[in-house]
Amino acid sequence: MAPVLPLALPLQPRIRLAQGLWLLSWVLALAGGLTLLCSGHLLVQLLHLRTFLAPSCPFTALPQVALAAGAVALCTGLAGAGASRASLDAAQYPPWRRVLGPLLVAGTAGGGGLLVLALALALALPGSLDTGLEEGLGAAMAHYKDTEVPGHCHAKRLLDELQLRHHCCGRHGFKDWFGVQWVSSRYLDPNDQEVVDRIQSNVEGLYLTDGVPFSCCNPHSPRPCLQDRLSDPHAHPLFDPRQPNLNLWAQGCHGVLLGHLQGLASTLGSLLAVTFLLQTPVLLGLRYLQTALEGLGGVIDGAGETQGYLLPGGLRHRLRTAWLQGGAAHRPAPGEAPAEEAPPGGDPPEA
Amino acid sequence: MALLKVSFDQKRRVKLAQGLWLLNWLAVLAGTVVFGLGLFLKVELRKRSDVMGNSESHLVPNSLIGVGVLSCAVHALAGKVCYDALDPAKYAKWKPWLRPYLAACVLLQAALLLAALCCLLLRGSLEGALALGLRQGLRFYRDTDTPGRCYMKKTIDLLQIEFRCCGNNGFRDWFEIQWISNRYLDFSSKEVKDRIKSNVDGRYLVDGVPFSCCNPNSPRPCIQYQLTNNSAHYSYDHQTEELNLWVRGCRAALLSYYSSLMNSMGAVTLLVWLFDVTATTGLRYLHTALESVSNPEDPECESEGWLLEKSVPETWKAFLESLKKLGKSNQVEAEGADAGQAPEAG
Repeated sequence: MAPVLPLALPLQPRIRLAQGLWLLSWVLALAGGLTLLCSGHLLVQLLHLRTFLAPSCPFTALPQVALAAGAVALCTGLAGAGASRASLDAAQYPPWRRVLGPLLVAGTAGGGGLLVLALALALALPGSLDTGLEEGLGAAMAHYKDTEVPGHCHAKRLLDELQLRHHCCGRHGFKDWFGVQWVSSRYLDPNDQEVVDRIQSNVEGLYLTDGVPFSCCNPHSPRPCLQDRLSDPHAHPLFDPRQPNLNLWAQGCHGVLLGHLQGLASTLGSLLAVTFLLQTPVLLGLRYLQTALEGLGGVIDGAGETQGYLLPGGLRHRLRTAWLQGGAAHRPAPGEAPAEEAPPGGDPPEA
Repeated sequence: MALLKVSFDQKRRVKLAQGLWLLNWLAVLAGTVVFGLGLFLKVELRKRSDVMGNSESHLVPNSLIGVGVLSCAVHALAGKVCYDALDPAKYAKWKPWLRPYLAACVLLQAALLLAALCCLLLRGSLEGALALGLRQGLRFYRDTDTPGRCYMKKTIDLLQIEFRCCGNNGFRDWFEIQWISNRYLDFSSKEVKDRIKSNVDGRYLVDGVPFSCCNPNSPRPCIQYQLTNNSAHYSYDHQTEELNLWVRGCRAALLSYYSSLMNSMGAVTLLVWLFDVTATTGLRYLHTALESVSNPEDPECESEGWLLEKSVPETWKAFLESLKKLGKSNQVEAEGADAGQAPEAG
């Protein structure tokens, strides 16, 4: 039975293949390193924002899988560079002969699998950010006043810092603050009639005001920040709440954070795609190089014609007999790599 | 008697030259680092020149930049010289230049040390510039309609938010200036009229601060106005309240930021200086070792390298003598020219 996808590789094309592979492997290592950095950055950002993402949001899985995929791609690139460099030098090749087979299996199954998984996550998960942020921000705003409740005492500081750093106010706008009690009851005077009126004016007994915290203030405004009585057009001179103005940050934190995280996720996704497109030819090239050199018996400088192939001839027959015998005698070839790649089966040809 | 004599055989000379080649290229890298540090400091100073009254001195970053560039150039050349030192033919063309070149290296090391000391010591002028600049900045806070000053409010607000500070020395600086523009005051209100009449300059002074002084770590929503009036707010005592506003003044905050920046830069520059001195010393040894090769035809012979040919006082005397001779030779030439002209005229 003929080997799968054979390719004649005399000396010159073999050398060209090794040289091209060396260059491509370094580019793959670079792409793997960049993916590693980008996923690390996204992981750090998510760590800072974990208060504002609902715990049930699966988005944090993306940078973790991408981190692993990037690490494997980096190692594959470095190994590929080393192997292709060694294949040009007769003295350096023998130690690589033994390692190359398992390396290719790990690179395809492990690296390829992780990359495909990470790509799938990068496409599917950003959609779940919307609800995650909605819930998380809503919970943070509700707990803004709970500066003395253990477990939520940091909500105020974190939300203030978020609004100051990202230049946003509320979930979708500053009016979100009108519907939440953000002043702790500890600092409300129970004897003040105005306070009592406000608390009695709504069903849940919350102290609601038409004011916002200081972190919503926009420094670009020409007038000192107006934070309270925002719905009353007569409360402040020259201020009409119906007119657009620079007094507070106009955008809501939901939109800002969503854009920020989705941007990072799409960058990561493109890097993963580029890494995948680089890893496939590197692995294929390494497989062809390996099988071609095995055909020469490991002698690098042999000028004889030799053939490289993806899968050895007779593999299907061997697999069938192994399957019929129950597969107990020897381990079946680990050909469980994803279907879209032609899996270079893990059997290193016998020397 | 030579200073710190060391004997070299051929192998040691070769090793010295190779080690020096590597050392010099690392010194080029170190020079680039110093250049980068100088550039970074210059950018940081420019970013905040608004609150320094545009009068801050750029001596420190400029000196770091200059010294960094010079160090790169000098050590790149030294690396090339060390590379050629192993080949007598190539080395011969460098020979006449090495003495003045080593003198230039020594001058560069002195300049590098001076730059490092500048980093660590020149802080006083920055403090003065900051005090002046911040005082002005606070005064112009309300002038958001005046061209040329309209950005000051934004600058001060962003500064107070970023550096977690309030006012010049503390938040009470805001009580002494009018930071609310007249445009947004309702002059028909009695309260406004009272406040304006209550002081000689007719300014609207409040015991309040802008929102950027607020401290997010406070458990209660920020209190910005009527800060000294305990009865205006429930359960509030202005004497004991510490978390409401930022306590530090912006001058202290900025000064500590720039101090720590310059301290670390000074430390790095000192390390680079030590490294460069090692490289220059090695080059001097290589130079003298190759000079004292007694038989140029036999490259395997032993030779000796030293730092100075004679001891330090003798070298200094010889240097002064050569300077005097230089002066005398000029004099002799001048007299000779005069004597030559006199017979002609006579």
